[in-house]
Amino acid sequence: MVLERCFGQRRSRQFHRILRNGKLTLLCLVLTVVVLRGNLGAGKFGTPEQDLMEIRETFSHYRKRAEPRRVLEEVSAEEEKVSNNYAEFDINKLFVDEESEEKKDPNLEYSLGPKISDWDEQRGEWLKKNPNFPNFVQPNKPRVLLVTGSAPKPCENPVGDHYLLKAIKNKVDYCRLHGIEVFYNMALLDAEMAGFWAKLPLIRKLLLSHPEVEFLWWMDSDAMFTDMVFEIPWKRYEDRNLVMHGWNEMVYDEKNWIGLNTGSFLLRNCQWSLDMLDAWAPMGPKGKIRDEAGKILTRELKGRPVFEADDQSAMVYLLVSQRDKWAEKVYLENHYYLHGYWGILVDHYEEYIKNYHPGFGDHRWPLVTHFVGCKPCGKFGDYPVERCLKQMDRAFNFGDNQILQMYGFTHKSLASRRVKRTRNETSTPLEDKDDLGLLHPAFKAVKVSSA
Amino acid sequence: MGLEFFTAQKRGSAQLPSTTTPKTAARSVAAGRTRNRSVLKTFNNIKITILCGFVTILVLRGTIGLGNYSTETEDQTLAEEINRILAEIRSDHDPNDPNDQFDQQHDLSLNETYSLGPKIESWDEDRKIWLDRNPDFPNYVNGKPRILLVTGSPPGPCDNPIGDHYLLKAVKNKIDYCRLHGIEIVYNMAHLDMELAGYWAKLPLIRKLMLAHPEVEWIWWMDSDALFTDMVFEIPYGKYNEYNMVIHGYPDLLYNQKSWIALNTGSFLFRNCQWSLDLLDVWAPMGPKGPIRDEAGKILTANLKGRPAFEADDQSALIYLLISQKDTWMNKVFVENSYYLHGYWAGLVDQYEEMNEKYHPGLGDERWPFVTHFVGCKPCGSYGDYPVERCLKSMERAFNFADNQVIKLYGFRHRGLLSPKIKRIRNETVTPLEYVDQYDFRHSVQGEVGSNS
Repeated sequence: MVLERCFGQRRSRQFHRILRNGKLTLLCLVLTVVVLRGNLGAGKFGTPEQDLMEIRETFSHYRKRAEPRRVLEEVSAEEEKVSNNYAEFDINKLFVDEESEEKKDPNLEYSLGPKISDWDEQRGEWLKKNPNFPNFVQPNKPRVLLVTGSAPKPCENPVGDHYLLKAIKNKVDYCRLHGIEVFYNMALLDAEMAGFWAKLPLIRKLLLSHPEVEFLWWMDSDAMFTDMVFEIPWKRYEDRNLVMHGWNEMVYDEKNWIGLNTGSFLLRNCQWSLDMLDAWAPMGPKGKIRDEAGKILTRELKGRPVFEADDQSAMVYLLVSQRDKWAEKVYLENHYYLHGYWGILVDHYEEYIKNYHPGFGDHRWPLVTHFVGCKPCGKFGDYPVERCLKQMDRAFNFGDNQILQMYGFTHKSLASRRVKRTRNETSTPLEDKDDLGLLHPAFKAVKVSSA
Repeated sequence: MGLEFFTAQKRGSAQLPSTTTPKTAARSVAAGRTRNRSVLKTFNNIKITILCGFVTILVLRGTIGLGNYSTETEDQTLAEEINRILAEIRSDHDPNDPNDQFDQQHDLSLNETYSLGPKIESWDEDRKIWLDRNPDFPNYVNGKPRILLVTGSPPGPCDNPIGDHYLLKAVKNKIDYCRLHGIEIVYNMAHLDMELAGYWAKLPLIRKLMLAHPEVEWIWWMDSDALFTDMVFEIPYGKYNEYNMVIHGYPDLLYNQKSWIALNTGSFLFRNCQWSLDLLDVWAPMGPKGPIRDEAGKILTANLKGRPAFEADDQSALIYLLISQKDTWMNKVFVENSYYLHGYWAGLVDQYEEMNEKYHPGLGDERWPFVTHFVGCKPCGSYGDYPVERCLKSMERAFNFADNQVIKLYGFRHRGLLSPKIKRIRNETVTPLEYVDQYDFRHSVQGEVGSNS
């Protein structure tokens, strides 16, 4: 109307037409952009899913902030709904933390504990005062504590706990035969060193609390013993303090991040080890420190992908950068599988059974099969779930057969849980000798002192 | 464009009927025309708006909905994959075994007798000879008899994941106690004898271990749902020098009332000797599954007080055996109730806080129970005899109650009996060994290595 007066009717009609066309064009453009954004994503500008997430988060945030008490009351109200059915129960509602987290001063540099400088002397004195807790149980056999562990909450994956159970049974069996004590940790000692770094404060604590232990053997929860006969050649390490599986060339020359493996290693209980732990720890504290350290490690080490600092890469970096200080007392063992990457081992079990026998510990019959990357306790691993679980069953049975043969049984096949007899019951059981000599092996003999 | 035409037409038609005066008619027609036009325009605009709105919603719903769906499908396919694998694992179907389907052993009929193995008559003598020949494997170490703790669980995953998690916690609990007391553990996950499956599986297992390990003086069977709650208490072995079996129970319930819960076979000690082999041979016949076990169940229900009707279980069978053949066996069976070799959980779990305040570990009795046994909870199955929440909460509390005693040496404690998190109760020091002497109670239990058969 206004335009009509300004420009005349025809002009105004033209103008209106243009306007309408413009509106239509704009509308179509907007629609196109929306559709494309939805299908292809617009990167920084986000996708519709992200919008939805953000909206959800905002609302749930407001809800959470406003009604914390209501949640607690809801939980107690739900108690009245009793059920005898385990499938209906949500285990995460069970746990209650009665005390709050300790607040750590963020400005303080991280430290595993107050610096101890005379541990060898302290320990030596203690051992003299306590002759009933010797650090050597036989002339060439040190007292060893095998340490492993898992998180205190149930696994996210429904089968995860079952495989943790099988793995600990496997370790208990090996350790019973070899006179080694087991410590299964389920506590997070230091919230800053969570994840793969959690072993550091734990190891330090155990070394200091158990002076009678000569060697601490850390073993990941996803590693299994597959050679029950093999005994670690302790004499080989009498001058060394840290034994890991790895290759000197790959660590010192190539700086390869998988040049060694910290999933299974031996650490002597001495001052050197405490110093080593103190030097190893700084890349661990979660958050900014760990992320930044991760970048350094990816840059410095060969083949390392981009992710936060892990204890293994940090160890490689430490050995490479401070070689003169540490390398002399570190033994990178590759004559037997102190750690055996499962990918190259599991398909050959039948071959090993056919051609060799337990006791070698090496490529002929691996001591340890380590399921790196499988992560059966979590939701996502680096490998297909089925392959991992099936192979873990095979590895477990492969090791278990060596235990069962002591009693005249074996698994029906490496894939089967069922067992069958290999030896009939007799009326003279003491004359039965098990083929591997594991019932009463030499490394378990107790030296009886003349009373 | 079309709308313009439409409005033009309308305009056209509006011109025809006209009864009013030309000037007012024209004005009113004009007004009507304008009004019509604006109405039409509004109408058209609304139509466009609705159409566009509709299309927008469709598109957005399509894209956002699709987006959600794709991550959901990822999660879903993973969950389905895991469930499929889990089902396969549970079924224990072995594609490589040609006899897999035909391997169901036939159940023993009522006429056949079951035997654990060929009869052994001279086990005590044979064992003594072996021990003399093998001084490196004495049956007494540091003045204490050599003990083997035997426990176990089925070879496959539990019916629900919570069950596996508590089996894991229970085995950690047993590992801790046994490490502190120098006891070895055998964790069995194999069905050695398909006839004696279920609670009877312990019989062939115990016999096998006794015969394979003559250096073991006592076999200690413990159920997978029993937890140690007193980490300091040590069994007073010297008390049982004249006995061959130690089991928790009440003589009154056993002899006078003939109750089916007079004794508990969830945690008991069994000496490695001829007497034990004979007892196992007499105990086993009610066990073979099928008609034998069912018939035996009826006999037991008829003879024992309070026993519900179900197939024969090892506990009722033992009670019946000890009552009916009292003179043969009871002189060597110690019915222990001065400490909780087995402690029924329902009466104990609510008092942990009180115990913490008033008493200390090492008592083993009602003041600080040695073992808390979660009978009836059955976390590995689908259904228990008690509400799930009560069972799981109690198991978590018992576990943490015991764990507190273990991690005290390291200067930590759980943040509450239901919390998986821990907190520091002792700061780190540069002289940790003074705490080791104070808190590691193993150093107060010392003896000499020797033989004492």
